[in-house]
Amino acid sequence: MDERISLSRRKLLHALTGTGVIAAADLAWWDAPFIAPRKAWGAEPVRFQWSVPEPTRIALMNSLVERFNQSQKDFAVQIEYVPQAQARQKLISAITGGSPPDLCQVWDNWVGQFNGMGAVEDITARAKSWKHYADVAPTAWQTVTINNQIISLPLAVTLDGIYYRTDRLKELGLKEPTPDWTWDEFLVVAKAFTRADKNQYGYGMRGSGSWALLYPSEFAYANGAEVLKDGKVAINSKEAIDAFAWYLDLALRHKVTPPSAATDGFVEIVEAFGRGVTSMYQHNSGSSGQQKKNVGVDKFATLPLPIGPANKRASFWFSETLTMFKGAKNKEGAWQFMTFMLDEEPSLKYNTALGLLPARKSILDRPEFSRDPALAGFVQSFPIGIVSPYLAYPGWGGKIDSDGVPLIQQAMLGKISARECLDRFADILKKEMM
Amino acid sequence: MTMLTLAKPRTRPLIGWRVRKLLIGYSYLVPAALCMLATVVVPIMLAIKMSLYADILYKPQDYRFIGLGNYVRLVEDPVFWLTLRNSVVWVFGSVSLQFVFGFAGALLLQQAFTGRALVRTLTLLPWIIPGVVVGLIWEWLYQPNYGVINDILIRVGLMQERVAWLSSPDLAMAAVVFTNVWRGIPFFVIMLLAGLQAVPDELYEAAHVDGAGVFARFWHITLPLLRPIIVVATATRIIWTFNYADLIFVMTGGGPANATQITSTYTLLQAYSSLDFGYAGALSVVLLLVMLAFTWLYLRTTKGLEDTE
Repeated sequence: MDERISLSRRKLLHALTGTGVIAAADLAWWDAPFIAPRKAWGAEPVRFQWSVPEPTRIALMNSLVERFNQSQKDFAVQIEYVPQAQARQKLISAITGGSPPDLCQVWDNWVGQFNGMGAVEDITARAKSWKHYADVAPTAWQTVTINNQIISLPLAVTLDGIYYRTDRLKELGLKEPTPDWTWDEFLVVAKAFTRADKNQYGYGMRGSGSWALLYPSEFAYANGAEVLKDGKVAINSKEAIDAFAWYLDLALRHKVTPPSAATDGFVEIVEAFGRGVTSMYQHNSGSSGQQKKNVGVDKFATLPLPIGPANKRASFWFSETLTMFKGAKNKEGAWQFMTFMLDEEPSLKYNTALGLLPARKSILDRPEFSRDPALAGFVQSFPIGIVSPYLAYPGWGGKIDSDGVPLIQQAMLGKISARECLDRFADILKKEMM
Repeated sequence: MTMLTLAKPRTRPLIGWRVRKLLIGYSYLVPAALCMLATVVVPIMLAIKMSLYADILYKPQDYRFIGLGNYVRLVEDPVFWLTLRNSVVWVFGSVSLQFVFGFAGALLLQQAFTGRALVRTLTLLPWIIPGVVVGLIWEWLYQPNYGVINDILIRVGLMQERVAWLSSPDLAMAAVVFTNVWRGIPFFVIMLLAGLQAVPDELYEAAHVDGAGVFARFWHITLPLLRPIIVVATATRIIWTFNYADLIFVMTGGGPANATQITSTYTLLQAYSSLDFGYAGALSVVLLLVMLAFTWLYLRTTKGLEDTE
C-alpha cells in the first residue's frame, strides 16, 4: 500500500479539526458557536424589547443575550423583536396599557416623551455606583439625563458628519478637503460633484423624518445660531434664518441635491450615495458599514461638518439607549443586562459590527474606531459635539415630526421662505414649552 | 259508577309564547352582540370620551375635561381642512378610476379567448399583495434617480428630465392615487365579472334579434342588471379607501409638505408622533361621522334596490 495516499483516522481527524477551525475563523463573531456552562433552571425572565430587527442586528443581539444568559444563573433575558417603525407605538401602547417590557432599546429623543408619561425608571443611584460611570463620556450622560435624573444607559452614541466620495474627488482632480473645511469649500465640492445630466448630485439632502430639520439646525449653529437661548426659543434668529436660507439654496439655487430631496429619508440618502447618485451626504456613523459594502472601503471617507461664517460648528449628539421602565417586573435583572451590554467585549462587538461609537471613552480609544477612515469624521467631531437642543422638552420630538417636517419640506420646495418656515416652527416649539 | 274528571284549566305561562319565541331568538344573538359591544361600541365610546379631554400622553398633569375644545381646535386647524380635501381627492379619484378600469376589465374577461383562466388569475395579483408591500414596490418604481418608470419614459423619449413623482406637491397625490387604482382594479373586476356571469344570455340574444346594437345592449341590459353590484361594490370601496392609510403612509408619509396627508394619516401622526390622543380622538370621531354618512347613504340605496327586486 502506498503510504503517501493512505489516510489514517488520526490524519482524518486532524484534517477535520483544521477545516472546522478555518470555517469558524471565517464566521462573524456573533455567528460562532458559544460554548459555556448551561444556565440554571428557574432563572427569572427579563423582557427586553428590541427594535431595528435587520439580520445582522438580530444575529448580534441573539448572541449577546445568549452570552449574558450563560454568564450567570439568576436571570434569563427574553428578546421581543419589534420593527423599528412600530417600536414607538408598541411601547406607548404597552405603557398606557400598564404592561411595558422590563427593558427596551430606544433613542434618547423618545425617552423624553416616555419620561414625561412617568413611565421611565430613575437609575441615577445605580448608574453613579456603577464601576464604569466615570468612563462614559460626560456628553453621553447628558443625553440621558432629565432634571438631574439619569434615566437610561447610553449603549452607543452618534454624531453627524459628512460622507464623501474620495474616488470621485480624484477623478475630478479636486483637492481632498481637510477636517477644518468651511461652508464655501463644501459648496465648491458639492457643485463639482453635480452633473445632473449624468444623474449625479453633490449633496444628498434629507427631507423626511426628524433629521430633515436637525441637519439644517446643525448648520445654523455654525452660523452662531441656537435653538434655545437663555431659556427662550431662538431658532428664528437672524443667524438661523441666514443659515437655513444658505442650506435651502443648495437645493433651490445651486441645485446640487437630487430632485427627490423633499421626501428622501434615511434609506434614500444612504441608497443614493451607495448607488453613486450623490457624492456627499450628512449622517451619523451608523451607515458606514453599509457604505463599505456598497461603495467600497477605499472609495469614501468622512469629515466633520464644515465650519460656518461664525467660525463655529456643532454636531448633535444622540444616544441609542437601554431604558428600564417603572413598571418593570424584574428591575435587577434588567440592570444586570444593561451593564453587561456596556462591558468591554459586548460594547466593542456591538459598536464595531454596526458602525456605531461606544459611549465609554476607553473603548472609543481603541484602534477599531480611531484608525478607521470611515469613522474618522465622527471621532474628530467629538470636540464639537453638543446634546441635541431638541431634547430640551419632551413634546418637541413629536412636534418636529408632525409639524416641523412639513414646514421644512415646504421650504425645500420653495413654497415658503426660510424666515416663514422658522417663524412658524418657533411658534410651535414655544407652545410645547408650556 | 262513572267517575267524572273535571279538566283543570291550564295555568297561564308567565310569558306568552310569542314573547318567549322572540326572546329565544334574541338570546341566540347575545354572544355576537356582546362581542360587537366589546370590540366596536365600547372602543367608539372611549374614543368619543377621549376626544373631550386634553390627553397628551407626556403631559399627564394636564389631563382634564375640556368639552369640545379639541373640536374647536380642529375647526381652526388649516391642516385638518387640507387633509379633508385631500381625502376627497384620494377617495373619489381612486374609486372612480378603479370602477371604470375594473368595469372594462370585467367586460374583457367575460369574452371567450385562449388563456382566459390564466389572465383572470393574474388580474388578481395586485389585490393579493399586502398594501404595505404594494407601497414599497411602487415607491421604488417611482424613485426618480434609479426607478424604472423614469428610466422607461426617458428611454422612449416621452421625458427629457427625471421627474420626482413622490417629491413634487403637484404630482405626489396623482402618483399615490394611480398606485391605489392599480391595486383596487381587481376588486371591481371580480365583483362585476360575477355579476356579468349572472346575466342570462337569452336577454342579449332577444335584444340582438330585436336589432339592439352593442351600446344599446350594454345600456339597457348590462348596466341595469349590474346596478345592485355596482352600488354595493362602490359604496364599500369608498368606505375602505377613506380609512385606508397604508399606501400613503409607506410611500410619502403624507408629504411632501402635507400634499398627500389624508385625515386617517393625520390622525396617526397626531396620536403617535405628537402623542396627542385627545386631538387624535377628535379626528377619529370626525372620520367616524363621515363614514356613518356614507354608510347611511349606502343603506338607503341598497334598501331601495331590495325593494325593487
